[in-house]
Amino acid sequence: MTEGPLVRYRAPALAFAGSLVLLAATAAVLFVAKLGGTPARLAARYRGAEEAFRAPATLDGLLEVAIPHLLAIPLVLFAASHVVGWARGVGRWTYHALVAVSFGAALAGVASGFAIRFVAAELAWVKLVAFAALELALLAWAALLARVFLRRSP
Amino acid sequence: MRFLVDPGAAPRARPAVRAWLLFAALALAAFAVQRALQGGLTPGGVEAFYLGPDGTEPVAAVALWEELHVGAFVWGFALFMLGALAAAAPAPAGRGLFRAAVAAAAADLAAPFAVVGAGGAGALRVATTALAFALVAALLVAVARATVPRGAPARD
Repeated sequence: MTEGPLVRYRAPALAFAGSLVLLAATAAVLFVAKLGGTPARLAARYRGAEEAFRAPATLDGLLEVAIPHLLAIPLVLFAASHVVGWARGVGRWTYHALVAVSFGAALAGVASGFAIRFVAAELAWVKLVAFAALELALLAWAALLARVFLRRSP
Repeated sequence: MRFLVDPGAAPRARPAVRAWLLFAALALAAFAVQRALQGGLTPGGVEAFYLGPDGTEPVAAVALWEELHVGAFVWGFALFMLGALAAAAPAPAGRGLFRAAVAAAAADLAAPFAVVGAGGAGALRVATTALAFALVAALLVAVARATVPRGAPARD
């Protein structure tokens, strides 16, 4: 008996889904531990805080974090969306919306760090919302991968 | 990335797959050398790296989470690529090996937390290092043999 195409890719797809969950979980821990997790702490982290003797973030420091993320996040999102799209794991409208939210949140998340530092502290809210959206998107892609590849093959 | 999910595209993608596997092998070798330089091949070296020279200065928790975050991306993406290439190969190969490599990589990612939590157990990290690198290397070789058959001409 020949197996369906989805069964063939089940193990790598599920392992990839697991890594997405792990990435989202560790990102959440690091977001709270390193950036503070609230708009006020985010603003202080990027713009500095005299009372805490914290210097503002430097452009060099911001780029050091941004560059690997500008490469890694789109690569992960591209791979996840590519596989879910190929497997037709979700309707066209939902798929396009999820792709737009994922990449949009990733871009806003990276850009907002620079915006908080060089434009306005209030943009910390953008960073917070973008981070939450990207986390949910990563979990959504992981859930879709699991749903598609755990489904009984026709 | 069509060759990742379309076995029919595999012959045409052979040069790209061959090049990617070469880079993956180089990355794995570099990663292994870095691990060795950090003392990862002996229990004492592992404990000195994570707990400090005299065992009283453990690395900060945030550093452990950062290592896990980066490792989840590196191992996760590399294993996904290798697993998908193995599945798309003309003769699918290494399924058991893939599962074992994923389990070993997961253990290797968790090991630093165990070393710091236990205040020792460096041998555990040495074991997970050896297992993860050996199994991923074996998977890489299996994928190379399955996707790039010796002497097989590339089809259009």
